Amino acid sequence: MSGITQSTALWYASRATGVVSLLLLTGVTLLGVLVNRQGRLPGLPRFVVTGLHRNLSLLAVAFVAIHVLTAVLDPYVTIGLVAIVIPFASPYKPLWLGLGAISLDLVLALILTSLARARLNRRFWRGLHWFAYLAWGSATAHSLTSSTDMHSGVLLYLVIACIAAVAGAVIWRITQAGREVPREERAAATLDMMSPRSVRAPARRGPRENIH
Amino acid sequence: MTFGTTVPHPGQPLTQPGGAGDGLPRLLPARGAVPVDLRTHLGRLGQPPYAGQAGRLIPVLQAAGLTGRGGAAFPVHRKLAAVAKARTQPVVIGNGAESEPASEKDKSLLWISPHLVLDGLQLAAEAVGSDAAGLYLHRHPRLLENLHAAIAERAAAGMDRAGVEIFEAPHRFLAGEESALASRVNGGPAMPRFKPPMVFERGVAGRPTLVHNVETLAHLALIARFGPDWFRAAGTDAEPGSMLCTLHQADGRRDVVETELGTPLRSLLTLDGHTQAVLSGGYHGAWLPAADAARMTLSNADLRPAGAFVGAGVLAALPADRCGIAEAARVARYLALESAGQCGPCFNGLPRMAAAMAEIASPRPDPRAVTDMIRWAGLVQGRGACHHPDGAVRFIRSALHVFRDEITRHGQGRCVDPARRPFLPLPDSTALSAADWS
Repeated sequence: MSGITQSTALWYASRATGVVSLLLLTGVTLLGVLVNRQGRLPGLPRFVVTGLHRNLSLLAVAFVAIHVLTAVLDPYVTIGLVAIVIPFASPYKPLWLGLGAISLDLVLALILTSLARARLNRRFWRGLHWFAYLAWGSATAHSLTSSTDMHSGVLLYLVIACIAAVAGAVIWRITQAGREVPREERAAATLDMMSPRSVRAPARRGPRENIH
Repeated sequence: MTFGTTVPHPGQPLTQPGGAGDGLPRLLPARGAVPVDLRTHLGRLGQPPYAGQAGRLIPVLQAAGLTGRGGAAFPVHRKLAAVAKARTQPVVIGNGAESEPASEKDKSLLWISPHLVLDGLQLAAEAVGSDAAGLYLHRHPRLLENLHAAIAERAAAGMDRAGVEIFEAPHRFLAGEESALASRVNGGPAMPRFKPPMVFERGVAGRPTLVHNVETLAHLALIARFGPDWFRAAGTDAEPGSMLCTLHQADGRRDVVETELGTPLRSLLTLDGHTQAVLSGGYHGAWLPAADAARMTLSNADLRPAGAFVGAGVLAALPADRCGIAEAARVARYLALESAGQCGPCFNGLPRMAAAMAEIASPRPDPRAVTDMIRWAGLVQGRGACHHPDGAVRFIRSALHVFRDEITRHGQGRCVDPARRPFLPLPDSTALSAADWS
């Protein structure tokens, strides 16, 4: 292999940012599951999980943008600007690049609706956020199929690790959903945990009485 | 807190605030039997003055400058105009579920002048072109019975154009919040939801829903009869009219009074040396040092710069020999337990703040409690589906500020009231299960 020339620079940049994008999207997906289950990261305040989820997703968009632009600008293969957002429109590997385009479209939709979340119907936003799994899945499939590097060696192990992590998170989410504290009891449960010296929430299974 | 003893009823005179002129009281009759029955009501005020066309009342209300009396003081005409614009037929609900434990005014109004509220409900329904109306209130057997009878009597007399249904609210602090109301009327739990869509866009049965406090509707019924100038004869230019207030005097007396906006607070509460602080706006409101309150009037113009507001007219004078921090800790605990448990910052943050408040209220508290509290306050504010965390933070912050000398005393192991006698009214049970929310 000869050194990095002007034409191979774009190719290397695209491959590298592609790998980083996959790692970031995997991280965002894992944090998203954690946000959803209101879990926390060891040693960090609760809001950090949400903050990290949001900020990493914006960072992922930046890397995906470089990944896509360098791939399109690279003269070695012809992809075309249209194929960035329209799936299966690329003359080069239409099916495999199409998966990437689907992922990009979904990621953009998720980012834009999240930025405008305060103005949107919460149910609509939540419904759309389910597509995050599809976005991650098509990005991973796109990595495995269109990349020539990921079929063996360290990068293959990396993709397998990403898939295992997200699969594990999904299983964890499903098992956690069954062990949820009912929302009516959450505040009392938190108060129970706090400062036993001076505050006690009422006995949770005590006789119920109405005021007035 | 029982209905019969706290609300004025036959045989108990209604209190009138000093210095009220201009034909006050307007909503609660000064004399005569209560509840005001239909015959007496019609004899005094006649039939509800239907405008004959949707929308006609809206500019009249704008000229009157009537604002919502449920606490938010939002201009009434703007809410009506937004709902009237909708293409689907709207629903109108009178909100009598005052969930504030320290407020008695909506219950009193519904008890004493039910027909004035029901007139307002009809006129509001006509103004937005609706034929479906409802009344939403807590489960008080006597009050519900009385209102069912009043509605039946009006139906028999052919007075009402929109059908009126009564919906019962659970005894939850948040049950009166607009989106909680819509959820409850739709058969769900009385829990707030995220907005948008706003309730006036999509509320009961997916239809645009106009929700007004029952006192607002009573004022509306009178403005429709006597006009904007009559309404503006009371109150200030910026905040016209009168309002109902629940007063908690330092000597333990409790009264519901009707007073003009702009009335000096010192003519409503006894603010002498026996009062150390005043709570304005209820448990989502703020504390004021008694000396500051004595210079203010009942108006948002005076109260807002001090971090408080008129709200739903709850004013409480805390006696000098009670511990303000202990009171604030009791209320903070109540507010934490009344979280709907839907938003993380609220159901994680408020119990922590309540625990820290209890720590500060105890002898020789951990000095970190105050700094923890200030940090948490910043983290929960503005991060809920409703304003519950914001209101709780406002209440707690003002207590930390106004009772800072008491905090110092606690640090030295002393307290103004070692017996910790409770002063502010709080219900003795909070939500324990899903059944308590519906």
